[in-house]
Amino acid sequence: MSARPDRTTQHVLLLLLGVVTLVVAGSDRYLDYVRAGFRPFLLVAGAVVLAVAVVGLLGRRPASRSGHEHPGPAVGWLLAAPVAVVLVVAPPALGAYSADRLPATPVTVAGSPPPGIGADDPGTDHRTMTLLAYTIWSAQPDTSALADRRVRLVGFVSPREAGGWYLTRLRVNCCAADATALRVAVPDGSAEFAPDQWVEVVGGFTEPVVDPAVGFAQPAVDALWVRRVEAPAETYE
Amino acid sequence: MLAWSTVFVAVCLQALPFLVLGVALSAAISTFVPPSFFARVLPRHPALAVPVAGVAGVVLPGCECASVPVAGSLVRRGVPPAAAFAFLLAAPAINPVVLVATAVAFPGRPEMVGARFVASLAVAVLMGWLWSLWGRSGWLRLPAPVATAPGATRVRAFGDAMQHDLVHAGGFLVVGAATAATLAVLVPRRWLDAVAGSPLLSVLVLAGLAVVLAICSEADAFVAASLTSFSLTSRLVFLVVGPAVDVKLVALQAGTFGGRFAVRFAPVTLVVAVLVAVGVGEVLL
Repeated sequence: MSARPDRTTQHVLLLLLGVVTLVVAGSDRYLDYVRAGFRPFLLVAGAVVLAVAVVGLLGRRPASRSGHEHPGPAVGWLLAAPVAVVLVVAPPALGAYSADRLPATPVTVAGSPPPGIGADDPGTDHRTMTLLAYTIWSAQPDTSALADRRVRLVGFVSPREAGGWYLTRLRVNCCAADATALRVAVPDGSAEFAPDQWVEVVGGFTEPVVDPAVGFAQPAVDALWVRRVEAPAETYE
Repeated sequence: MLAWSTVFVAVCLQALPFLVLGVALSAAISTFVPPSFFARVLPRHPALAVPVAGVAGVVLPGCECASVPVAGSLVRRGVPPAAAFAFLLAAPAINPVVLVATAVAFPGRPEMVGARFVASLAVAVLMGWLWSLWGRSGWLRLPAPVATAPGATRVRAFGDAMQHDLVHAGGFLVVGAATAATLAVLVPRRWLDAVAGSPLLSVLVLAGLAVVLAICSEADAFVAASLTSFSLTSRLVFLVVGPAVDVKLVALQAGTFGGRFAVRFAPVTLVVAVLVAVGVGEVLL
């Protein structure tokens, strides 16, 4: 085997890359890596790579013996790496391990007092909020909008040194490489929920708490009940 | 390890559409626009030709891997080297594909796109002028013409160019994605935060990262965006240095223009790029 991929090998590498891109973008798996709105670009890119490979493979045959072949750059072999990782490892969305290492999502506090968090979900006594929304509301100077209300939050469990656990979501701007962590402390969270378990928490607002291991105030929720749930298709907020 | 794989695949997937678009456009231009066209539209005087060539970089979308051979062919066709180098440095940094990628990577921060454009163009023009003042043609080993298959149609040439660039740039993209994923997973956050806290250190560290990571300019904005604890100015340094000087680019330059050229051109470009980016960052960000 040559150290540098010949033309046919290059086309096969591109073929694999195109197919894998289309497979990932064609299912919900792409949501583990990039934002939902990015799907059309992935589909187009995968189709173009596939087309270049197919045209190259089909068109090359009659002329393959004419002239001398220029082997491709050795670095081209690396195109097989993402293909192999997707097929063999099938990496899941980032979870509790990363949440512990990622910086917290920067939250800006609005200048004017917000009007209110909105009505309860139909037929229930609580209001579903994203962790980002809850974090923003908790950081307001005036948290009266949350007083005497029950909120429902969905996320996965990640470890908390100061007791209980964090209800966690990762927030992504472009792709998983720029993820930041949204963590809401559940100080009396039961140990029966293991890290990476997806749960919904219904509870009331309590003042943000400072975890000594973190050093700054984090939003917290006083959990009434916690229930296991299925992980959503789009795990990032 | 799982986290590494996820970030690795994410960077590859996120960058792939931009890479494909850039490679397709650059293959189209290098196939369908004759190089003599560039020689015809440039002003005769080198001092004027440098900024014109720099701005002309806007219309050649492609990452730095594509612009080095194009600059080589420009020199061969009689374009003054100073102008060709301004083009070489400007094209990968300020073309629309890269600017759109930058805007996508920094949502709500349009000033980042403007700062990147201004700083990179300034570096390209300054380096062009520096070359026309002090550059020696003896440092250059002019590139040999690229062999094209006899009787190849333009469509075939287009396909060949796309395939070559995709394999080449794609391979380097994988290197960049793997390095970025390794950094994201392994480097302790406190260490990065400590570096990020010091204005001088953060600029130097990100300039060094840009050189070592050698990420394609179509994808580097996403890596810069992920370095959330660093100041915008130091991330601008990363974006300005990356397309101008990095390990793979120096290798390409040495291969195209000769080693004597590369060992002089690259360090000077690095210093100019860091100074200009810090200056622009202080004013615009």
